[in-house]
Amino acid sequence: MAFQEKRTAPAAAFGSALGLVLVAQLLFAVAAVAQDGQAQDRDAEAASGAELFQLCAQCHGEDGGGNKLYLAPAIAGLDEWYVEMQLNEFRNGYRGLHFDDIGGMRMRPMAMTLRSETELKNVAAYVAQMPKTSPAKTLEGDVDNGKQLYVLCGACHGQQAEGMEAQKAPALTHLDDWYLVEQLMKFKLGIRGTRPGDPYGVLMGPNSPMALTLKTDQSVRDVVAYILTLRAADHAAAK
Amino acid sequence: MIEQYLPALSTYAGDIDGVITLIAVLTGFWYVLCNIVFFGFIFRYRAKSGASEYITGEEKELKRWVTIPHLLVLVCDLFIIYGAVRVWVDVKQTLPEQPYATVRVVGQQWAWSFVHPGADGKLDTADDIKTVDDLHIVKDKPYIYELVARDVLHNFSVPVFRLKQDAIPGRVIKGWFTATDTGVYDIQCAEICGIGHGVMGARIHITTEEQHAAWIAENTPANLATAPAAPPERKPLAATALAAR
Ligand SMILES: [Cu+2]
Repeated sequence: MAFQEKRTAPAAAFGSALGLVLVAQLLFAVAAVAQDGQAQDRDAEAASGAELFQLCAQCHGEDGGGNKLYLAPAIAGLDEWYVEMQLNEFRNGYRGLHFDDIGGMRMRPMAMTLRSETELKNVAAYVAQMPKTSPAKTLEGDVDNGKQLYVLCGACHGQQAEGMEAQKAPALTHLDDWYLVEQLMKFKLGIRGTRPGDPYGVLMGPNSPMALTLKTDQSVRDVVAYILTLRAADHAAAK
Repeated sequence: MIEQYLPALSTYAGDIDGVITLIAVLTGFWYVLCNIVFFGFIFRYRAKSGASEYITGEEKELKRWVTIPHLLVLVCDLFIIYGAVRVWVDVKQTLPEQPYATVRVVGQQWAWSFVHPGADGKLDTADDIKTVDDLHIVKDKPYIYELVARDVLHNFSVPVFRLKQDAIPGRVIKGWFTATDTGVYDIQCAEICGIGHGVMGARIHITTEEQHAAWIAENTPANLATAPAAPPERKPLAATALAAR
Protein backbone atom coordinates (compact mmCIF):
# COMPACT_ATOMS: atom_id res chain seq x y z
CA MET A 1 0.00 0.00 0.00
CA ALA A 2 1.36 3.38 -0.96
CA PHE A 3 1.89 6.03 1.65
CA GLN A 4 0.98 9.25 -0.03
CA GLU A 5 1.04 12.02 2.55
CA LYS A 6 3.80 14.55 2.33
CA ARG A 7 6.21 14.03 5.19
CA THR A 8 7.88 16.77 7.17
CA ALA A 9 11.54 17.31 6.57
CA PRO A 10 13.75 15.04 8.72
CA ALA A 11 15.91 18.02 9.58
CA ALA A 12 12.90 19.57 11.32
CA ALA A 13 12.33 16.36 13.31
CA PHE A 14 15.95 16.28 14.36
CA GLY A 15 15.83 19.96 15.21
CA SER A 16 12.78 19.62 17.43
CA ALA A 17 14.31 16.61 19.26
CA LEU A 18 17.44 18.64 19.94
CA GLY A 19 15.28 21.56 21.01
CA LEU A 20 13.40 19.39 23.51
CA VAL A 21 16.64 18.23 25.10
CA LEU A 22 17.90 21.81 25.41
CA VAL A 23 14.61 23.04 26.90
CA ALA A 24 14.63 20.18 29.43
CA GLN A 25 18.17 21.07 30.49
CA LEU A 26 17.23 24.72 30.83
CA LEU A 27 14.25 23.79 33.05
CA PHE A 28 16.47 21.69 35.31
CA ALA A 29 18.93 24.56 35.62
CA VAL A 30 16.16 27.02 36.49
CA ALA A 31 14.70 24.62 39.06
CA ALA A 32 18.12 24.15 40.66
CA VAL A 33 18.67 27.91 40.95
CA ALA A 34 15.17 28.40 42.38
CA GLN A 35 15.86 25.72 45.00
CA ASP A 36 19.10 27.41 46.03
CA GLY A 37 17.25 30.63 46.57
CA GLN A 38 14.65 28.83 48.68
CA ALA A 39 17.30 27.38 50.96
CA GLN A 40 18.74 30.83 51.63
CA ASP A 41 15.63 32.57 52.91
CA ARG A 42 13.56 29.75 54.31
CA ASP A 43 12.25 31.89 57.09
CA ALA A 44 10.93 34.54 54.76
CA GLU A 45 9.14 31.81 52.84
CA ALA A 46 7.97 29.71 55.78
CA ALA A 47 4.85 27.72 54.92
CA SER A 48 1.63 28.69 56.68
CA GLY A 49 0.13 26.53 59.41
CA ALA A 50 -2.69 25.45 57.09
CA GLU A 51 -0.19 24.37 54.42
CA LEU A 52 1.98 22.52 56.91
CA PHE A 53 -1.03 20.79 58.44
CA GLN A 54 -1.69 19.01 55.14
CA LEU A 55 1.12 16.62 56.08
CA CYS A 56 -0.24 16.11 59.63
CA ALA A 57 -3.70 15.47 58.18
CA GLN A 58 -2.44 12.33 56.42
CA CYS A 59 -2.44 10.49 59.76
CA HIS A 60 -4.14 12.80 62.27
CA GLY A 61 -7.08 13.47 59.92
CA GLU A 62 -8.34 16.62 58.21
CA ASP A 63 -10.13 17.63 61.43
CA GLY A 64 -7.18 16.61 63.62
CA GLY A 65 -9.39 13.96 65.20
CA GLY A 66 -6.78 11.21 65.11
CA ASN A 67 -6.70 7.68 63.72
CA LYS A 68 -5.86 4.75 65.96
CA LEU A 69 -4.95 2.59 62.98
CA TYR A 70 -2.00 4.93 62.34
CA LEU A 71 -1.29 5.36 66.08
CA ALA A 72 -2.12 9.03 65.50
CA PRO A 73 -3.96 10.67 68.40
CA ALA A 74 -6.46 13.53 68.24
CA ILE A 75 -4.53 16.80 68.28
CA ALA A 76 -7.12 19.42 67.31
CA GLY A 77 -7.35 22.21 69.89
CA LEU A 78 -4.35 21.16 71.97
CA ASP A 79 -2.69 24.10 73.71
CA GLU A 80 -0.27 25.94 71.45
CA TRP A 81 2.60 25.82 73.96
CA TYR A 82 2.11 22.05 74.29
CA VAL A 83 2.16 21.37 70.53
CA GLU A 84 5.30 23.48 70.19
CA MET A 85 6.94 21.74 73.10
CA GLN A 86 6.14 18.26 71.81
CA LEU A 87 7.26 19.06 68.26
CA ASN A 88 10.54 20.21 69.78
CA GLU A 89 10.76 17.06 71.90
CA PHE A 90 10.29 14.92 68.80
CA ARG A 91 12.87 16.99 66.97
CA ASN A 92 15.53 16.71 69.66
CA GLY A 93 14.85 13.03 70.25
CA TYR A 94 13.22 13.15 73.70
CA ARG A 95 10.34 11.39 71.99
CA GLY A 96 10.51 8.91 69.13
CA LEU A 97 14.09 7.81 69.71
CA HIS A 98 13.45 4.85 72.01
CA PHE A 99 13.71 1.34 70.57
CA ASP A 100 10.14 0.48 71.64
CA ASP A 101 8.45 3.80 70.88
CA ILE A 102 6.63 2.60 67.76
CA GLY A 103 4.22 5.55 67.53
CA GLY A 104 6.94 8.06 68.37
CA MET A 105 9.17 6.74 65.60
CA ARG A 106 6.40 7.61 63.14
CA MET A 107 6.09 11.15 64.46
CA ARG A 108 9.74 12.09 64.88
CA PRO A 109 10.68 12.23 61.17
CA MET A 110 7.50 14.21 60.52
CA ALA A 111 8.48 16.81 63.11
CA MET A 112 11.91 16.90 61.47
CA THR A 113 10.37 18.03 58.17
CA LEU A 114 9.61 21.46 59.67
CA ARG A 115 12.29 23.69 58.19
CA SER A 116 12.40 26.50 60.73
CA GLU A 117 11.26 27.74 64.13
CA THR A 118 8.71 29.89 62.27
CA GLU A 119 7.18 26.86 60.60
CA LEU A 120 7.04 25.01 63.90
CA LYS A 121 5.20 27.93 65.50
CA ASN A 122 2.90 28.27 62.49
CA VAL A 123 1.75 24.67 62.57
CA ALA A 124 1.40 24.68 66.37
CA ALA A 125 -0.79 27.79 66.19
CA TYR A 126 -2.89 26.19 63.47
CA VAL A 127 -3.43 22.97 65.46
CA ALA A 128 -4.28 24.99 68.58
CA GLN A 129 -7.04 26.98 66.86
CA MET A 130 -8.72 23.89 65.38
CA PRO A 131 -12.04 22.99 67.03
CA LYS A 132 -11.53 20.21 69.57
CA THR A 133 -12.82 16.78 68.58
CA SER A 134 -14.28 14.20 70.93
CA PRO A 135 -12.59 10.87 70.18
CA ALA A 136 -14.87 7.93 70.91
CA LYS A 137 -14.41 5.87 74.06
CA THR A 138 -12.67 2.56 73.29
CA LEU A 139 -11.78 1.28 76.78
CA GLU A 140 -13.60 0.45 79.99
CA GLY A 141 -12.46 1.47 83.43
CA ASP A 142 -13.71 2.06 86.97
CA VAL A 143 -14.51 5.78 86.98
CA ASP A 144 -14.84 5.99 90.79
CA ASN A 145 -11.47 4.40 91.38
CA GLY A 146 -10.08 6.60 88.61
CA LYS A 147 -11.38 9.69 90.38
CA GLN A 148 -9.47 8.74 93.55
CA LEU A 149 -6.29 8.16 91.58
CA TYR A 150 -6.70 11.37 89.57
CA VAL A 151 -6.32 13.61 92.63
CA LEU A 152 -2.56 13.27 92.25
CA CYS A 153 -2.64 14.01 88.50
CA GLY A 154 -4.79 17.06 89.16
CA ALA A 155 -1.95 18.71 91.06
CA CYS A 156 -0.28 19.45 87.73
CA HIS A 157 -2.89 18.75 85.06
CA GLY A 158 -5.63 20.61 86.95
CA GLN A 159 -8.59 19.08 88.76
CA GLN A 160 -10.62 19.40 85.54
CA ALA A 161 -7.66 18.09 83.46
CA GLU A 162 -7.58 21.50 81.82
CA GLY A 163 -3.75 21.58 81.87
CA MET A 164 -1.26 23.99 83.42
CA GLU A 165 1.39 25.60 81.29
CA ALA A 166 3.46 26.56 84.34
CA GLN A 167 3.82 22.84 85.19
CA LYS A 168 4.24 21.90 81.51
CA ALA A 169 1.23 19.65 82.08
CA PRO A 170 -1.09 19.43 79.05
CA ALA A 171 -4.88 19.36 79.00
CA LEU A 172 -6.09 15.76 78.81
CA THR A 173 -9.84 15.91 78.21
CA HIS A 174 -9.86 15.69 74.42
CA LEU A 175 -7.20 13.06 73.91
CA ASP A 176 -8.07 9.50 72.89
CA ASP A 177 -8.37 7.01 75.75
CA TRP A 178 -6.13 4.52 73.93
CA TYR A 179 -3.52 7.23 73.48
CA LEU A 180 -3.59 8.20 77.16
CA VAL A 181 -3.20 4.58 78.23
CA GLU A 182 -0.39 4.06 75.74
CA GLN A 183 1.51 7.14 76.93
CA LEU A 184 1.07 6.29 80.62
CA MET A 185 2.41 2.81 79.92
CA LYS A 186 5.33 4.25 77.94
CA PHE A 187 6.17 6.55 80.84
CA LYS A 188 5.93 3.71 83.33
CA LEU A 189 8.13 1.43 81.23
CA GLY A 190 10.70 4.16 80.59
CA ILE A 191 9.97 4.27 76.85
CA ARG A 192 9.09 7.96 77.15
CA GLY A 193 10.59 10.55 79.48
CA THR A 194 13.92 8.82 80.10
CA ARG A 195 16.20 10.42 77.52
CA PRO A 196 19.18 12.13 79.15
CA GLY A 197 18.53 15.86 79.28
CA ASP A 198 14.74 15.65 78.94
CA PRO A 199 13.63 18.06 81.68
CA TYR A 200 9.87 17.49 81.59
CA GLY A 201 9.34 13.90 80.47
CA VAL A 202 11.04 12.76 83.65
CA LEU A 203 8.19 14.29 85.70
CA MET A 204 6.11 11.38 84.39
CA GLY A 205 8.93 8.79 84.18
CA PRO A 206 9.24 5.32 85.72
CA ASN A 207 10.01 6.72 89.21
CA SER A 208 7.52 9.59 89.10
CA PRO A 209 4.57 10.02 91.47
CA MET A 210 2.40 8.94 88.54
CA ALA A 211 4.18 5.60 88.13
CA LEU A 212 4.11 5.02 91.89
CA THR A 213 0.38 5.75 92.03
CA LEU A 214 -0.79 3.91 88.92
CA LYS A 215 0.77 0.61 89.89
CA THR A 216 -1.42 -1.74 87.85
CA ASP A 217 -2.62 -1.71 84.25
CA GLN A 218 -6.16 -1.57 85.60
CA SER A 219 -5.41 1.60 87.58
CA VAL A 220 -4.14 3.19 84.34
CA ARG A 221 -7.42 2.34 82.58
CA ASP A 222 -9.46 3.57 85.57
CA VAL A 223 -7.81 6.98 85.67
CA VAL A 224 -8.18 7.35 81.91
CA ALA A 225 -11.87 6.44 82.16
CA TYR A 226 -12.25 9.21 84.74
CA ILE A 227 -10.36 11.75 82.60
CA LEU A 228 -12.82 11.13 79.77
CA THR A 229 -15.72 12.05 82.06
CA LEU A 230 -14.15 15.51 82.46
CA ARG A 231 -14.77 16.24 78.79
CA ALA A 232 -18.36 17.31 79.42
CA ALA A 233 -17.21 19.81 82.05
CA ASP A 234 -14.71 21.22 79.56
CA HIS A 235 -17.50 21.71 77.00
CA ALA A 236 -19.65 23.45 79.64
CA ALA A 237 -16.75 25.74 80.57
CA ALA A 238 -16.19 26.62 76.92
CA LYS A 239 -19.79 27.90 76.59
CA MET B 1 34.36 5.59 38.25
CA ILE B 2 31.29 5.52 40.52
CA GLU B 3 33.40 5.86 43.69
CA GLN B 4 34.36 9.36 42.54
CA TYR B 5 30.79 10.40 43.25
CA LEU B 6 30.02 8.12 46.20
CA PRO B 7 32.71 6.52 48.38
CA ALA B 8 32.93 2.73 48.08
CA LEU B 9 33.42 1.48 51.64
CA SER B 10 32.58 -2.22 51.70
CA THR B 11 34.67 -5.11 50.46
CA TYR B 12 32.10 -5.84 47.77
CA ALA B 13 31.29 -2.26 46.73
CA GLY B 14 33.87 -2.43 43.92
CA ASP B 15 32.33 -5.64 42.55
CA ILE B 16 28.86 -4.09 42.49
CA ASP B 17 30.19 -0.94 40.84
CA GLY B 18 31.87 -3.23 38.31
CA VAL B 19 28.55 -4.88 37.41
CA ILE B 20 26.82 -1.48 37.16
CA THR B 21 29.61 -0.19 34.92
CA LEU B 22 29.52 -3.33 32.76
CA ILE B 23 25.76 -2.93 32.24
CA ALA B 24 26.11 0.80 31.59
CA VAL B 25 28.85 0.26 28.99
CA LEU B 26 27.06 -2.56 27.15
CA THR B 27 23.65 -0.91 27.10
CA GLY B 28 25.29 2.46 26.39
CA PHE B 29 27.08 1.00 23.38
CA TRP B 30 23.79 -0.31 21.95
CA TYR B 31 21.98 2.92 22.78
CA VAL B 32 24.47 5.02 20.86
CA LEU B 33 24.64 2.55 17.96
CA CYS B 34 20.82 2.39 17.65
CA ASN B 35 20.55 6.16 17.60
CA ILE B 36 23.21 6.44 14.91
CA VAL B 37 21.32 3.86 12.80
CA PHE B 38 17.92 5.47 13.37
CA PHE B 39 19.10 8.98 12.60
CA GLY B 40 21.02 7.58 9.62
CA PHE B 41 17.78 6.07 8.30
CA ILE B 42 15.88 9.28 8.89
CA PHE B 43 18.44 11.12 6.85
CA ARG B 44 18.77 8.51 4.14
CA TYR B 45 15.03 8.10 3.62
CA ARG B 46 14.16 11.76 3.99
CA ALA B 47 11.37 13.18 1.78
CA LYS B 48 12.27 13.24 -1.88
CA SER B 49 10.33 14.08 -4.98
CA GLY B 50 8.09 11.24 -6.12
CA ALA B 51 5.79 8.89 -4.20
CA SER B 52 6.94 7.20 -0.99
CA GLU B 53 6.80 3.45 -0.53
CA TYR B 54 5.47 1.54 2.47
CA ILE B 55 7.90 -1.11 3.70
CA THR B 56 6.45 -4.07 5.58
CA GLY B 57 9.80 -5.33 6.84
CA GLU B 58 9.04 -8.92 5.93
CA GLU B 59 11.89 -9.44 3.49
CA LYS B 60 14.91 -11.42 4.69
CA GLU B 61 17.46 -8.68 4.15
CA LEU B 62 15.25 -6.27 6.15
CA LYS B 63 14.61 -8.72 8.99
CA ARG B 64 18.37 -9.00 9.48
CA TRP B 65 18.31 -5.50 10.94
CA VAL B 66 16.36 -6.99 13.84
CA THR B 67 17.74 -10.54 14.08
CA ILE B 68 21.46 -9.80 14.10
CA PRO B 69 21.40 -7.08 16.80
CA HIS B 70 19.01 -9.27 18.81
CA LEU B 71 21.52 -12.14 18.83
CA LEU B 72 24.40 -9.78 19.64
CA VAL B 73 22.44 -8.31 22.55
CA LEU B 74 21.84 -11.85 23.85
CA VAL B 75 25.60 -12.43 23.77
CA CYS B 76 26.01 -9.25 25.84
CA ASP B 77 23.39 -10.60 28.24
CA LEU B 78 25.57 -13.65 28.83
CA PHE B 79 28.41 -11.39 30.00
CA ILE B 80 26.01 -9.47 32.27
CA ILE B 81 24.50 -12.64 33.72
CA TYR B 82 27.93 -14.11 34.38
CA GLY B 83 29.17 -10.92 36.03
CA ALA B 84 26.01 -10.35 38.04
CA VAL B 85 25.54 -13.92 39.31
CA ARG B 86 29.16 -14.11 40.45
CA VAL B 87 28.67 -10.96 42.56
CA TRP B 88 25.17 -11.98 43.69
CA VAL B 89 26.42 -15.28 45.08
CA ASP B 90 29.18 -13.51 46.98
CA VAL B 91 27.03 -10.69 48.38
CA LYS B 92 23.64 -12.35 48.88
CA GLN B 93 24.14 -16.12 49.03
CA THR B 94 27.27 -16.40 51.14
CA LEU B 95 27.78 -15.52 54.80
CA PRO B 96 31.18 -15.05 56.43
CA GLU B 97 32.20 -18.15 58.35
CA GLN B 98 33.94 -16.25 61.13
CA PRO B 99 31.83 -13.12 61.63
CA TYR B 100 33.09 -10.51 64.07
CA ALA B 101 29.56 -9.88 65.33
CA THR B 102 25.90 -10.05 64.40
CA VAL B 103 23.73 -6.91 64.54
CA ARG B 104 19.97 -6.80 64.25
CA VAL B 105 18.55 -4.18 61.92
CA VAL B 106 14.88 -3.34 62.48
CA GLY B 107 12.78 -1.35 60.04
CA GLN B 108 9.57 0.32 61.11
CA GLN B 109 7.55 3.33 60.02
CA TRP B 110 9.63 5.57 59.85
CA ALA B 111 12.93 4.86 61.48
CA TRP B 112 15.68 2.28 61.59
CA SER B 113 16.44 0.79 64.97
CA PHE B 114 19.36 -1.46 65.82
CA VAL B 115 20.35 -4.09 68.36
CA HIS B 116 24.11 -4.31 68.92
CA PRO B 117 25.72 -7.08 70.95
CA GLY B 118 27.27 -5.71 74.13
CA ALA B 119 30.66 -6.56 75.59
CA ASP B 120 29.84 -10.30 75.47
CA GLY B 121 29.59 -10.15 71.68
CA LYS B 122 26.25 -11.98 71.68
CA LEU B 123 22.80 -10.82 70.68
CA ASP B 124 19.74 -11.28 72.89
CA THR B 125 21.58 -10.95 76.18
CA ALA B 126 21.10 -8.35 78.92
CA ASP B 127 23.96 -6.15 77.75
CA ASP B 128 22.58 -5.63 74.22
CA ILE B 129 22.65 -2.00 73.14
CA LYS B 130 19.49 -0.86 71.40
CA THR B 131 19.50 2.33 69.40
CA VAL B 132 17.28 4.23 67.00
CA ASP B 133 18.83 6.02 64.00
CA ASP B 134 22.45 5.03 64.75
CA LEU B 135 24.27 1.81 63.84
CA HIS B 136 27.77 1.38 65.25
CA ILE B 137 30.23 -1.04 63.67
CA VAL B 138 33.97 -1.72 63.48
CA LYS B 139 36.07 -1.21 60.38
CA ASP B 140 37.58 -4.21 58.55
CA LYS B 141 35.47 -6.75 60.44
CA PRO B 142 32.93 -9.03 58.78
CA TYR B 143 29.47 -8.41 60.20
CA ILE B 144 26.31 -10.42 59.77
CA TYR B 145 23.09 -8.46 59.91
CA GLU B 146 19.68 -9.89 60.75
CA LEU B 147 17.10 -7.76 59.01
CA VAL B 148 13.50 -7.63 60.25
CA ALA B 149 10.51 -5.34 59.71
CA ARG B 150 7.96 -4.49 62.38
CA ASP B 151 5.12 -3.33 60.15
CA VAL B 152 5.45 -3.15 56.37
CA LEU B 153 8.11 -3.70 53.70
CA HIS B 154 11.26 -1.61 54.05
CA ASN B 155 14.66 -1.82 52.41
CA PHE B 156 17.92 -1.50 54.31
CA SER B 157 20.11 0.59 52.05
CA VAL B 158 23.66 1.68 52.83
CA PRO B 159 24.79 3.56 49.71
CA VAL B 160 28.51 3.61 50.57
CA PHE B 161 28.41 -0.20 50.97
CA ARG B 162 26.35 -0.55 47.75
CA LEU B 163 24.08 -2.63 49.98
CA LYS B 164 20.32 -2.89 49.51
CA GLN B 165 18.18 -5.58 51.09
CA ASP B 166 14.42 -5.78 51.45
CA ALA B 167 13.06 -6.17 54.97
CA ILE B 168 9.91 -8.27 55.09
CA PRO B 169 7.55 -8.52 58.08
CA GLY B 170 7.62 -12.03 59.53
CA ARG B 171 10.97 -12.94 58.05
CA VAL B 172 14.53 -12.69 59.37
CA ILE B 173 16.81 -11.99 56.43
CA LYS B 174 20.54 -12.42 56.94
CA GLY B 175 23.32 -10.76 55.02
CA TRP B 176 26.81 -9.43 55.58
CA PHE B 177 29.17 -6.53 55.07
CA THR B 178 32.76 -5.61 55.88
CA ALA B 179 33.48 -1.90 56.07
CA THR B 180 36.81 -0.78 54.65
CA ASP B 181 37.15 2.66 56.23
CA THR B 182 35.95 4.71 59.19
CA GLY B 183 33.40 7.53 59.13
CA VAL B 184 29.73 8.34 59.47
CA TYR B 185 27.49 7.62 56.49
CA ASP B 186 23.84 7.48 55.47
CA ILE B 187 21.43 4.62 55.87
CA GLN B 188 18.24 4.95 53.83
CA CYS B 189 15.00 3.14 53.25
CA ALA B 190 14.81 2.03 49.63
CA GLU B 191 11.32 0.49 49.58
CA ILE B 192 8.28 2.74 49.68
CA CYS B 193 6.77 2.20 53.13
CA GLY B 194 4.29 5.03 53.70
CA ILE B 195 4.21 8.77 53.88
CA GLY B 196 7.41 9.02 55.95
CA HIS B 197 9.46 6.81 53.61
CA GLY B 198 11.46 9.70 52.20
CA VAL B 199 12.56 10.90 55.64
CA MET B 200 13.35 7.43 57.02
CA GLY B 201 17.07 8.01 57.37
CA ALA B 202 19.69 6.75 59.81
CA ARG B 203 23.46 6.81 60.16
CA ILE B 204 26.15 4.15 60.21
CA HIS B 205 29.16 4.91 62.41
CA ILE B 206 32.22 2.97 61.31
CA THR B 207 34.97 3.16 63.92
CA THR B 208 38.15 1.44 65.04
CA GLU B 209 37.96 -1.44 67.47
CA GLU B 210 39.13 0.77 70.39
CA GLN B 211 36.54 3.45 69.64
CA HIS B 212 33.87 0.78 69.41
CA ALA B 213 34.85 -0.73 72.77
CA ALA B 214 34.61 2.74 74.32
CA TRP B 215 31.18 3.22 72.76
CA ILE B 216 30.02 -0.13 74.16
CA ALA B 217 31.30 0.73 77.65
CA GLU B 218 29.50 4.09 77.51
CA ASN B 219 26.19 2.71 76.29
CA THR B 220 25.82 -0.63 78.06
CA PRO B 221 22.41 -0.51 79.79
CA ALA B 222 23.83 -1.51 83.20
CA ASN B 223 26.29 1.40 83.10
CA LEU B 224 23.55 3.82 82.06
CA ALA B 225 21.34 2.79 84.98
CA THR B 226 24.01 3.77 87.51
CA ALA B 227 24.50 7.20 85.94
CA PRO B 228 22.93 10.01 87.98
CA ALA B 229 19.65 10.85 86.29
CA ALA B 230 17.59 12.15 89.20
CA PRO B 231 15.69 15.24 88.09
CA PRO B 232 15.76 18.30 90.34
CA GLU B 233 12.12 19.13 89.60
CA ARG B 234 10.76 15.85 90.85
CA LYS B 235 10.86 16.42 94.58
CA PRO B 236 8.88 19.67 94.80
CA LEU B 237 6.34 18.20 92.40
CA ALA B 238 5.88 15.07 94.50
CA ALA B 239 5.45 17.31 97.53
CA THR B 240 2.69 19.39 95.92
CA ALA B 241 1.02 16.28 94.59
CA LEU B 242 0.94 14.65 97.98
CA ALA B 243 -0.26 17.85 99.64
CA ALA B 244 -3.16 18.00 97.21
CA ARG B 245 -4.04 14.49 98.11
CU1 LIG C 1 10.84 2.23 55.17
